[in-house]
Amino acid sequence: MADEFDFQTGESGASSTYPMQCSALRKNGFVVLKGRPCKIVEMSTSKTGKHGHAKVNLVGIDIFTNKKYEDMCPSTHNMDVPAIKRSEYQLVNINDGYMCLMDEHGEIREDLPVPNNDIGKDIEAKFEASEDFMVTVLSAMGEECAVGLKAMASK
Amino acid sequence: VKLPAPPSMVSTEQRQHAEHIFLSFRKSKSPFAICKHILETSKVDYVLFQAATAIMEAVVREWILLEKTSIESLRTFLLTYVLQRPNLQKYVREQILLAVAVIVKRGSLDKSINCKSIFHEVGQLISSGNPTSGIQSVCLLVGASLCLSFLCFYASAFHSIFSFHPPVLPAPQEEDLRQIFVLTMEVLQEFSRRENLNAQMSSVFQRYLALANQVLSWNFLPPNHILSFSKSAQNVTLKPTESWREALLDTRVMDLFFTVHRKIREDSDMAQDSLQCLAQLASMHGPIFPDESAQVSYLAHLVEGLLSMINGIEIEDSEAVGIANIISNLITMFPRSILTALPSDLFTSFINCLTLLTCSFGRSAALEEVLDKDDMVYMEAYDKLLESWLTLVQDEEHFPRGCFVQPAVQVFNSYIQCHLAAPDGTRNLSVSGIATHDEEEINELQEDDRELFSDQLSSVGMLGRVAADHLLTFRTQQQLMASSDPGSVDRKVLDDLYEDIHWLILVSGYLLADDPQGETPLIPSEVMEFSIKHSTEVDINTTLQILGSPGEKASSIPGCNRTDSVIRLLSAVLRTSEVESRATRASLTQLLSPQMGKDIVWFLRRWAKTYLLMDEKLYEQISIPLSTAFGPDTEGAQWIVGYLLEKVINNLSVWSSEPDLANDTVELLVTLVEKRERANIVVQCENWWNLAKQFASRSPPLHLLSRSVQRTLMKALVLGGFAHMDLDAKQQYWAEVLHPLQQRFLNLINQENFAQISQEEAVKQEIVATLEALCGIAEATQIDNVASLFSFLMDFLSSCIGLMEVYSNTPETINLIIEVFVEVAHKQICYLGETKSMKLYEACLTLLQVYSKNNLGRKRSDATAEEDQYQDLLLIMELLTNLLSKEFIDFSDTDEVFRGQEQGTPASSRTVSAADVVLYGVNIVLPLMSQDLLKFPSLCNQYYKLITFICEIFPEKIPQLPEDLFKSLMFSLELGMTSMSSEISQLCLEALSPLAEQCAKNQEKDTPLFIATRHFLKLVFDMLVLQKHNTEMTVAAGEALYTLVCLHQAEYSELVESLLSSQRDAVIYQRLADAFNKLTASSTPPAMDRKQKVAFLKSLEEFVANVGGLLCVK
Repeated sequence: MADEFDFQTGESGASSTYPMQCSALRKNGFVVLKGRPCKIVEMSTSKTGKHGHAKVNLVGIDIFTNKKYEDMCPSTHNMDVPAIKRSEYQLVNINDGYMCLMDEHGEIREDLPVPNNDIGKDIEAKFEASEDFMVTVLSAMGEECAVGLKAMASK
Repeated sequence: VKLPAPPSMVSTEQRQHAEHIFLSFRKSKSPFAICKHILETSKVDYVLFQAATAIMEAVVREWILLEKTSIESLRTFLLTYVLQRPNLQKYVREQILLAVAVIVKRGSLDKSINCKSIFHEVGQLISSGNPTSGIQSVCLLVGASLCLSFLCFYASAFHSIFSFHPPVLPAPQEEDLRQIFVLTMEVLQEFSRRENLNAQMSSVFQRYLALANQVLSWNFLPPNHILSFSKSAQNVTLKPTESWREALLDTRVMDLFFTVHRKIREDSDMAQDSLQCLAQLASMHGPIFPDESAQVSYLAHLVEGLLSMINGIEIEDSEAVGIANIISNLITMFPRSILTALPSDLFTSFINCLTLLTCSFGRSAALEEVLDKDDMVYMEAYDKLLESWLTLVQDEEHFPRGCFVQPAVQVFNSYIQCHLAAPDGTRNLSVSGIATHDEEEINELQEDDRELFSDQLSSVGMLGRVAADHLLTFRTQQQLMASSDPGSVDRKVLDDLYEDIHWLILVSGYLLADDPQGETPLIPSEVMEFSIKHSTEVDINTTLQILGSPGEKASSIPGCNRTDSVIRLLSAVLRTSEVESRATRASLTQLLSPQMGKDIVWFLRRWAKTYLLMDEKLYEQISIPLSTAFGPDTEGAQWIVGYLLEKVINNLSVWSSEPDLANDTVELLVTLVEKRERANIVVQCENWWNLAKQFASRSPPLHLLSRSVQRTLMKALVLGGFAHMDLDAKQQYWAEVLHPLQQRFLNLINQENFAQISQEEAVKQEIVATLEALCGIAEATQIDNVASLFSFLMDFLSSCIGLMEVYSNTPETINLIIEVFVEVAHKQICYLGETKSMKLYEACLTLLQVYSKNNLGRKRSDATAEEDQYQDLLLIMELLTNLLSKEFIDFSDTDEVFRGQEQGTPASSRTVSAADVVLYGVNIVLPLMSQDLLKFPSLCNQYYKLITFICEIFPEKIPQLPEDLFKSLMFSLELGMTSMSSEISQLCLEALSPLAEQCAKNQEKDTPLFIATRHFLKLVFDMLVLQKHNTEMTVAAGEALYTLVCLHQAEYSELVESLLSSQRDAVIYQRLADAFNKLTASSTPPAMDRKQKVAFLKSLEEFVANVGGLLCVK
């Protein structure tokens, strides 16, 4: 497998999913179910009749919407696995519901909205209180969302 | 009082209100007069029932407040009441009789009721009354109920009042038991003579039959009879004392039970009791038999009775288990010498009958399976009988030579027949003779047949060995060979074939070898003897030829009949395996059965453990064909190792999608390399090296295997590396297996931009694969390789901590990193000497520090955030427990295994103990443990196990903890004691005693621990005296209370005083005060002394029984 990838290149050109044989998936890993990137929360095998071939039953949770999906397929089949990426940014500003985020090279992006959930509220509250913190942004299959935050150690 | 009425007339509220009135009525104080009044005047059954219940509960509750005479008159009142009203509703009568029984039972506890007089009453009741009148049945019922009161606990009655079980009640005297038995026999005798019993009489009959069963199931062993009686009446064998000779050795008693059974055998409930009585009689042993001849004639009579019972009837479904129990009991309990002393034709008839019965139950059991019945009675009976055969056959040398051979052949054949499809067998044939075929969904939780039926298979395998002469030569192998030709592609036909092969392989596996856990498995002596016996007729070269040509038909080899049968059986499986492998090469994998594939590697593993490179020193005599074929330094052994290896490699590449099969396959590989002798041959195979290279390169198809299989494969490859090789070969091997792993990993993490590329999928996969491999390497740890593996792994562990930083926001990677530490600690800590342990402790500590730093102040919103954290903490807890285990499992012999590697480090430099690390770890974990997380049961358990461990092993460390940590620890204990499951509560209570003892040792007052234990004293006191609690907890709570009382005597007195002063009722006050005095009487002044503690615990039981009721009175 090593030859298929080149560690030296940057992130561009990376495919958003790659195939994997069902049997090599694992709980806590990721898989595309019904076209959505999911985290596998349950995985079990079954077979039809004592001499049947294994099938894999998967339960996944959409990593962006938290919706639950289920699927079953013969374990010889390939499933798509989403490439998952997590990045950390420092929150610089909130502008009109959009976060102003700075990466480690000092580059700024302003295309991500404050998410409409608990983390979003925390982000706003901490921003109001002028606390320094990092925002974790999760991206997969062309979608991106802030999913966590971490207070910066007092340096 | 509102009466029950049709729903149309009362509203739900009214009904609830009425129920509430009844409930509070039952709790009211001394309701005796009003209850009597209700019983005498009310005509409403439900009200009568409640009145009886109220009496029963009040009597027990207020027992020590009541005058003995008033109790007695109450009892007489209730008895007379029932006897005078033969037409009472059944449930009312039962409840009143229960009240009487409870009174008698409670009375026998403090000996205030005289048993003799009760028996006199019962005797009169039974003999009185006109047999034709309805009165007699009532008398008999009352009698039975009184008798039962001596045998049973009525724990439920006590329980509902006290919320705990009563203390150990005195056992009935043997004399009483015998009286009951004699009375019961009289009644049964009377009944057995009658024709046509009406419904009421037959229910009375059943009552007495049950009573007889209770007496016969009595455990006559001294101290703990009550406990064993109540828990598993079924497993108690009958061992009466000499005084029962007259009552039990009389053949009429046994005849009576046979007669009774014949009479009622169609009533399945009663038949169960009568058969159970017979089964108990069949288990009779001990001093009751004056001599052997008495025992022989008793057994002969039993067997005769049994045979005439079985032969005369068509067995009902409901009788199968009972009959099997009788047989199994008599075979287990009667000494072999008694069995062989039976007249020989009787013994032969018995064995023949047993054979037929076993075969017939086997067939019925197979039918049950086809019909998918819920209640598998024949299966249970069949299991029992097979077990009995196993017992007989294991003692074969005591019996006439060869007497079990024919039966064994029959039973074995019928087993095979039941599991083979037509025309050879009868599997899947329903009653109508039509084959059924179902395609049910089977999930992974369902056990494989080889475990599900392991008991049956072991018995059948054993019988097969007895009958080896007949069986090894034909059946299984011929069928195996005949069946392993999948010419047809009809899936249904194939499935039938696979099912046949499945069972044949399982039976062959159990026939040829045992699977003793942990010991070196030996070739069964029967098999060895068989092979030796026939070795003169065997042509060794042809045998080897058969073995070595799995691709050819055995029958096509000239002289194939003059070959060793044991080897032929193996070669039959190899032929099946070869057919399978060829089919995969011809891309027919889809047509194969993964189940059969599993069976094949399971068989080969079991076989290899026992036969491959057998150690000739372990056997008295050895078969030449076997040692020539598989012994050390033989070509045969080399050939077969090569063959097995090829099989493994083939399976791993074509069956990656079948997790179970891949797993069994890789386990076969582990078996091949875990023993040095076998590994030495394995590493000479070129295939082995190819496998190692292929795996190290992470190229398909091996990387398609599931992670757990890859881990085990890594383990096998590492184990193989410790086989005997010359130095060059060894260096080269490690260069192929371990070094690539290290190189790739180091190249990756040492890149300047590693942090930036770390989230790339390829990088993540490489990291994950490395971590998985590390777990596999740790799993390969053995005492003789720990030195090199530890050094290798330690290098990685420090890099892993760097990874913790890089992947701090990637939970799945973090989880895996912790797992590596868990595995290393789990497998290696017990072998590590001081300096090495210290290194590992330090690494673990750093890991925890980094983890904690990365998680403080982190918030996540994704759905699995909680689950991820839960898994991390669970692993950390496991890690700490593993580290702690060093304190009690330590195989390190002052760095013995590292000798030569390490320059003498002075032992005095030991500064960190496991306790320090673990406490530090707990300090890190505690702030992360929220009450929400404790709701995960396994996490909660692990957490409390850990802190109880710490308190028990290092109580001296607790007072030295930092204040915050100390406080959270104490809070955790309190929380666990008061608001968790009873299991957790018990763990916390167990942690208290060592803490209190620690305080006592230090003799420092006003330390935080001293103050905390004072608080716990009150908690435990309230728990025991005032709150409902589980009986199982009384002991743990009692021990904790005692040590705490020793430590805080003044506070304890205060607690008692304040409880007493809150009592307004003078009588209750006095009884309470007495009870408290009695409680501490044996231990004044309390001292931490075992003897006193035991005395205290004993009086505590009584105390709880007396006071528990008092404090419930409102």
